[in-house]
Amino acid sequence: MTQAAALAQYGSTGVSQGFKNRIINGNMVIDQRNAGASVSITGGSTTYTVDRWAIFENGSMAFSAQRSTTAPTGFINSLLVTTTTGAAAGADDRSQLFQRIEGFNTADLNWGTANAKTVTLSFWVRSSLTGQFGGSLQNSNQDRSYPFSFTISSANTFEYKTITVAGDTSGTWLTDNSTGIQVLFDLGMGSNLLGTAGAWASADYRGATGDTKLSGTTNATLYLTGVQLEVGSTATSFDYRPYGTELALCQRYYQLSDTSPSVTVQYGGWIGTVYPSGTQAFGLGVFKVTMRSAPTITFYDETGAAGKVLQNGIAGGIAATAAGITVAAFNTCNRTSGTFTNGYPVLAGFTASAEL
Amino acid sequence: MYKLSPLNWNQTKSDSVIDLNKMCAIPFDPANTDYQTFKKEVLAGAELQDADGNVMTQEQADDFIKELP
Repeated sequence: MTQAAALAQYGSTGVSQGFKNRIINGNMVIDQRNAGASVSITGGSTTYTVDRWAIFENGSMAFSAQRSTTAPTGFINSLLVTTTTGAAAGADDRSQLFQRIEGFNTADLNWGTANAKTVTLSFWVRSSLTGQFGGSLQNSNQDRSYPFSFTISSANTFEYKTITVAGDTSGTWLTDNSTGIQVLFDLGMGSNLLGTAGAWASADYRGATGDTKLSGTTNATLYLTGVQLEVGSTATSFDYRPYGTELALCQRYYQLSDTSPSVTVQYGGWIGTVYPSGTQAFGLGVFKVTMRSAPTITFYDETGAAGKVLQNGIAGGIAATAAGITVAAFNTCNRTSGTFTNGYPVLAGFTASAEL
Repeated sequence: MYKLSPLNWNQTKSDSVIDLNKMCAIPFDPANTDYQTFKKEVLAGAELQDADGNVMTQEQADDFIKELP
């Protein structure tokens, strides 16, 4: 796209240079949970990889995923997904890489109305396999779906893909702090979850008919980066936001008390004063940014043990949980059993999760 | 398996629940997806304890869930 065309699009379609990409962490740089380490994905639960990106599978296949430094020119990271156990997908099996976009960040698209705006999804992708791959855009109820497909022509080579989608004029698309749009990439959907590419359907379609199943080949790889969802019918250059801005955007959904939950809890974590009853400690733990919802909180002691806190000068490894949780802070540490010793501070690192 | 969080000094009822398997605290916020899962699982038969550790009957648990936001 020429510069003139880009400028024309900014002027004519309401694209904002401040937040044109509705995908957060599309360049896969932020990885608060794993710091580049590989995670395993098996059977029936959602596993977050780099920030905002999750993988779900419910079949007998298995994957690993991690932030990679293999990336196309202009990027320093991608998300690498590897099939560690290949298996055939049953008709209702789901293997998907996805990001759920908050409704507040898609409200202006007017989806579900006659004024629905066209969007364009663009990304860089590389795989050890070639052929048709795909994915889908869906609403939160997963009863409106737009399957899309793209072709990977050369193995182990990054290719740039763009998908333009006329906005959905039907269905219910939430515009609050719930899921607005789900962007899914098909890693090996069962046949009941595949639909015709390039058309809206009132069905739960998570990929396009004919998609290659990454999940079917052990050691198959998929790299993805530069993912952008923007208003308009043409893909524009990737919306590089400052690292601190991107991190803060991620922290609305998940945050650590420090660079890891167990890092020197005295400095980066939470500190509380023991209440006379001895079973509770109080202290304000303020989140770095206001979270999407009141988050789920897990304490960590100085060894990194989950669900544990440290009473300085007394003992570590004390089982405890948080309470008094709002979108902005929490204020209570409840000891699971026994009592704290009065006069000694209670310390903990923590994670706060408000993922969609 | 879940357990209601103990009350603190200014509360008359619990504001969160503890997931005893993950040892995390889940606030009673309808937008929290873990909270949504908690309600579904308890209604489907997952064990719920009161703040003192007493296991609720399924009927008690169902009634409790119905009162939540």
